[in-house]
Amino acid sequence: MIKDSTKDLWTFRESKEPSRVELYFLGALVVAGVISIIRLANWWFREEHVGNLILYIILSVIFWYGMLRIILIWINYLGIRKPQKTAPPKDVRVAIFTTSSPGEPLSMFEKTLEACANISYPHKTYLLDDTQDSGFREVAEKYGAIWLNLVGLPGAKAGKINKAMTMTDEEFILVLDPDHIPFPNFLDEVLGFFDDKQVGYVQVSQAYYNQYRSFTARAAAEQTYTFYGPTQMSLHGYNSSVAIGANCTFRRKALESIGGHGIGLAEDLVTAIRIHAAGWRSVYHPVIVSRGLVPEDFDSFCKQQLKWARGVHEVLFAEVPRLFKKLSFWQKVSYITIGTYYLEGLTTLFYLIIPFLYLWFGVVPAKMYFIEFILQGMPVLIFSVWIYLFVQRWMCHPAIERGLHFRGMIQKFACWPIFLKGTLLSLVNKEIPYIPTAKQAVISKMSPFAKPVLMHIVIFIITLTYTIYERRYLLSDVELVSTSERAYGMIAFATIPFLLALGAIYAVIESIKLKSENPWEKI
Amino acid sequence: MKKYIYRIVIIVAALVLGVLMVAGLTFIGKESSGPAEDLFSKISSGISLIENKFILGKREKSRLIELKWFDKYRSDKSKLLLPDKILLGAYDDKTSETFQPIAELEDSLKTVFPLIHIYTAWGSNRNQRFPATELNSIHSIGSIPIVTWEPWLTDFDKEAMPGLPNPEVRDKDGLKAIARGVYDIYIDRWATEAKLFNKLIFLRFAHEMNDPYRYPWGPQNNMPEDFIAAWKHVVDRFRAVGADNVIWIWSPHPAYKMFDEYYPGEDYVDWIGVGTLNYGTVAPWSQWWTFDEIFAKHYELLAKYNKPIIISEFGSLAVGGDRAEWFNEALNDFPKRYPGVKSLVFFHCSSDATTTYQTLNWYFKDDPEILKIVKRTTSAWPNYSDIKIAQ
Repeated sequence: MIKDSTKDLWTFRESKEPSRVELYFLGALVVAGVISIIRLANWWFREEHVGNLILYIILSVIFWYGMLRIILIWINYLGIRKPQKTAPPKDVRVAIFTTSSPGEPLSMFEKTLEACANISYPHKTYLLDDTQDSGFREVAEKYGAIWLNLVGLPGAKAGKINKAMTMTDEEFILVLDPDHIPFPNFLDEVLGFFDDKQVGYVQVSQAYYNQYRSFTARAAAEQTYTFYGPTQMSLHGYNSSVAIGANCTFRRKALESIGGHGIGLAEDLVTAIRIHAAGWRSVYHPVIVSRGLVPEDFDSFCKQQLKWARGVHEVLFAEVPRLFKKLSFWQKVSYITIGTYYLEGLTTLFYLIIPFLYLWFGVVPAKMYFIEFILQGMPVLIFSVWIYLFVQRWMCHPAIERGLHFRGMIQKFACWPIFLKGTLLSLVNKEIPYIPTAKQAVISKMSPFAKPVLMHIVIFIITLTYTIYERRYLLSDVELVSTSERAYGMIAFATIPFLLALGAIYAVIESIKLKSENPWEKI
Repeated sequence: MKKYIYRIVIIVAALVLGVLMVAGLTFIGKESSGPAEDLFSKISSGISLIENKFILGKREKSRLIELKWFDKYRSDKSKLLLPDKILLGAYDDKTSETFQPIAELEDSLKTVFPLIHIYTAWGSNRNQRFPATELNSIHSIGSIPIVTWEPWLTDFDKEAMPGLPNPEVRDKDGLKAIARGVYDIYIDRWATEAKLFNKLIFLRFAHEMNDPYRYPWGPQNNMPEDFIAAWKHVVDRFRAVGADNVIWIWSPHPAYKMFDEYYPGEDYVDWIGVGTLNYGTVAPWSQWWTFDEIFAKHYELLAKYNKPIIISEFGSLAVGGDRAEWFNEALNDFPKRYPGVKSLVFFHCSSDATTTYQTLNWYFKDDPEILKIVKRTTSAWPNYSDIKIAQ
């Protein structure tokens, strides 16, 4: 089964074109979802629901901020479009930039550079190298790539790209991550869009070939399926699709108009927002024309998340206010929505604390009947899931990407401390060092990122034990019978994240046992 | 232009389908709220059962053990229709989260109440349904609940009850509407849940129906025969579903003389209830009345019904007289003076805003003199030795 689908990975895939009937039905689902949310709101805001007033206000802000994001995502989907591909123009000059850094395995570059050489549209491949290892030069030359020695430049990958731009003069530049193995038709798919002189960059999907290696890898891949399908296609519909570091083809003039590739932890997003602000159009083309690597072990995944959490906030605080006036309405909405994504760390923390606040101190933010909340919230849940599943028809490779993505959910939950850390670091404007995303499983002891999750599990178990002890020996019989419903309701509420945390610990333990492998050698 | 019309048609059609989907789901939700709720209440009563068995049942000292003497009453309705001693009880307004305030009053009186009194209103809100959680709690700690059940009619949703008039006209002839069966959906559901509860409940329905200044079910909106018809209708609905575990308290206001016109008949009433609150001088219409002034002159009339009498609201404010003396006069030799009274329920309410524009405080838990008097007088009652905390 897995073997078959692995073979499946190396064929060209593209999303379906949304039909009118599908769009109409999606619109109806969104209307139904919004009505359900209004219905829930009508029930939520009642005086009798107020427990502790301050906590009630915080809870309401957080909960309804979450609902607002859901509505924005739905409205975004209504813009879903697939761009019309045209044949690539003859005789334009294209450069492929791929970078190598110390510590990256040479054998991976063999595959990547070989695949670059096989791209059918005429092009020049450049290896932007700072390894100071002659092996890289040899491999580059073996596959006809031009080796550029770019040592000691600030700004990691982006710095090298900017320097390389001064040494080259091709009209179009494809930035390819070295772990991504391109298909021969890559350039044929994207170059046609540049016939429109307004188009600044064309982004294609990022797909992976090592997701079957571990729970973490699957989870990480699951988190991207919707984004590289319906989400980006919809952003494209509003001319707001974003460039994602790898697999993005830029018009040199667009990059030059913003003073070169952006630098920073979220250099891709910085570049995208600047190009949009400079008035260029963007294209998202939902095709799989390369496959790369996704972090296989928990620690590498978390490092990548921390990098993004910190970097994305940088865009929110530094770029969005500066460029705000130059962005279109939907670009504003979408960059703010992306920029605040990692606030979820803070909101998750609050949701986690609620049951413990009750079980330790008897404080409740909201006095709601649990069953009423379920009855009011159920339609919202049903339509959310329905829309989530419905838009999966526009994934690039639905056969293997569809599903409820529970692994992705578990792993996203486990990252709340990382998101929170990213937010806090941004608030005090503290840097984290640039960490390249690991290309191989890093075998080590338990990831330090698992500590907060473990702590959560320990706190839950202690609280549960104490609650049972308290109820058995300390509470008076009158208190006991009166508090039974709420106490067990809160325990149930605390059990859901506890189970997610257990799932995350499974991923952590599996990561420790994971054998290091070079996935590219099996292709 | 054609494209423009096409778009509008699409948008309208999507709106219509969206609304239909939500409506459909809501309908299913309403229909299926039964099973979902059943499951939920089964889980919660299952948990209570486990806790009762493994926690309450294992304790050496508990309210349940202290009320052991009351078990024979709790399991036998006939003993409660003709009790051989005075059953004490209390209402406390701070019990929305826990009955702990009742326990605190008990501690300061060195007693344990066999009866606990709560109030609940009619309506479509969740807190106006059958109060299963509270009643289960009361039973789990060894007492029997008294429920004062107030037929407020304006809180019903129109869509939940077809044929309902607008809220502003519901009170006029409201009891006629009850008798006509307009509110049967609500009554039957309550009655069914009461039957499922399966333990004894004192139900004090539509109290002070003869007071024209208090509640909408009073004479200002209804005729006495409407009250009797409504009362009989409600009792009949309960009997029809088999809720025989309900003990009916008919509770007029004795100060308004013609209460006999409101008596539904001896087949429909189990106990006679009376409130004897002394408001002192808090309001222009009130003055300091002793317990005897409030109650004694009506006692003979009430005793004539030949039913056990319950003082369902017993208490005094502190303004305008000596409150300790009021308790002393009331409780001294009480059983001898009022042999027909078989229950007395303290109205222990810290902020009562129902009668005057200011909130009134009926609490006496922190008044050592009153506590002493209550302890001294009640412990001199015959048969009281049973009621005291087991030694």
